[in-house]
Amino acid sequence: MVVQGILFPEEWLTTDWFSIFATVVAINTLVYVVLGVSKLLPVWHLRFFKRGGRNRRGETRSIYPDAKP
Amino acid sequence: MSRFFQRIVGLAVIVIVLAASGLLWWAVTVQHSPTMWDPIAVTIGGVWQVMYSAELPRLRLVAVALALALIMIIIVVAAERIVSRRYRRTPPHRAERPLAPRVVMARTRGQFAGEVTVTALIPAHNEEASLPATIASLRAQTSPPERVIVVADNCTDDTVRVAREAGVEVFETVNNVHKKGGALNQALTDLLPNLGDNDTVLVMDADTQLGPEFIATAKRHFTDDRALMAVGGLFSGEEGHGLLGQFQRNEYFRYQREIRRRDGRVFVLTGTGTAFRATALKAVADSRGRAIPGLQGDVYDTFALTEDNELTIAIKSLGGLMVSPPECTVVTELMPSWGMLWAQRLRWQRGALENLGAYGITPQTFRYWAQQIAIGYGVFALAAYFVLILLMIFAMDTWVWFPFWLSIGLLFALERMVTAWHGGWRARILSVLIFPELVYDSFLNLAFLKGVFEISSGQRPTWKHVEHTPSSAQAAEESSLLTEHVLGQEVVSVVDLTAQGEPAGSTLARHHAESENTEVRA
Repeated sequence: MVVQGILFPEEWLTTDWFSIFATVVAINTLVYVVLGVSKLLPVWHLRFFKRGGRNRRGETRSIYPDAKP
Repeated sequence: MSRFFQRIVGLAVIVIVLAASGLLWWAVTVQHSPTMWDPIAVTIGGVWQVMYSAELPRLRLVAVALALALIMIIIVVAAERIVSRRYRRTPPHRAERPLAPRVVMARTRGQFAGEVTVTALIPAHNEEASLPATIASLRAQTSPPERVIVVADNCTDDTVRVAREAGVEVFETVNNVHKKGGALNQALTDLLPNLGDNDTVLVMDADTQLGPEFIATAKRHFTDDRALMAVGGLFSGEEGHGLLGQFQRNEYFRYQREIRRRDGRVFVLTGTGTAFRATALKAVADSRGRAIPGLQGDVYDTFALTEDNELTIAIKSLGGLMVSPPECTVVTELMPSWGMLWAQRLRWQRGALENLGAYGITPQTFRYWAQQIAIGYGVFALAAYFVLILLMIFAMDTWVWFPFWLSIGLLFALERMVTAWHGGWRARILSVLIFPELVYDSFLNLAFLKGVFEISSGQRPTWKHVEHTPSSAQAAEESSLLTEHVLGQEVVSVVDLTAQGEPAGSTLARHHAESENTEVRA
């Protein structure tokens, strides 16, 4: 007797292509969950580096020429 | 950029997505060793028997997925940083990047061009109903604009009278056939020559309300940094429209959150409310037809379906700096029906792809290309996910639980809920359920696919403009040939003019639309 789901035979779930397909979806799902979780983590601000080195302002960017940098 | 390139933009996105999916499939096939899942039966409380699969995915699989995700994050983040740094450090003598900070600094060093001023420009096409509230929101600013100009474009209602009665200036367009972009171009041609380095133009929609701190914040940013070229709004959706409204509000909340996490480094200077330094708009108009696409002298490219996205890429390409601070909030209209949402997203998608076609592959468009490809891959991934779930539901004899994947599902639910947290309890409940939003995402994905196929097959959009408040049956009748009244929105319909024997590039096809923004799905 063929084991039957609601619409399709249950053997489908043990075929090779289904197994590959399920693996592809599994990888996608894991990729998306990593991307999703990365949005929950606090943002890593490199403020210390931003103000140092070549990023340090040598002169004011204000519209007032005599403002402090 | 050639018309041919315009058309292959859609194809390029499809091909890259298919190649990536195929590569993944192939890699899995090569590595694959068939596994038989063997569910275990367990009886709960002595009566309820359930089956579950205790199988965990192989470690290598998890490692590959993790590596792929991290590589993608690193490539996109690093590329964006490298490009922005390179543009920021453009040497003062580079003529093709007139808005780069060092160029601007060198030009304005030691000069004081006066305090920062704001001139609000409100393009309005039959907006008598929404104008009063918009003008009131400008008056309620903690630092009101110096001038307010309503740009009345082909109005058949009382927009002009309503604006004058509200005490603001009115600029009436003359023979404008290029919709919002054309109207703004006429007004800006008149306005820009009188504006200096510290004068700014706030372009905002007539159906939009600015947060009370918007202009004060923009002025502060423009004062502190004379190389800052634009301050963009962070939009959120108005109340109402039931479940469909909540879907859109959640989407906008997540986009806002994303921009805040990026320190205001914005993808699109929204057409619903953005203040530009006059210098930036002058440079854009001057560079069109040479360094950037469009007609020389036009601030807005009237060929672009999403002119705000186009202007953002234009300013970035010329080296200009821009920011969207958290205080600069904008409340905008939502699409009240699925049909209207479809039309809006089709326009955004087509617009975004066409803008990429117009600019090609440049350092500044890299991020935008990556976004389109990511959306394309998401279409494939989400569809595959649904197919897998349905296959399992319809082929399993008895229901089997998968504890590992259930816990992954819970992580997703958490991510969805946290990212929409500030939207309130309705936003949280809707997002924690996951599946309703996945269905909404699938709807947007279909609009993306349609956009890609349309652009690839050379179909051209024509616009059906819809009035806010149909003033009379006669007006409705007059406009019925070209327009359609649907709850005060704009609806795009696409006709294949090529099939109707219309020559490519026909001016008939140059109908353009208002645009609020693109790429809300970052």
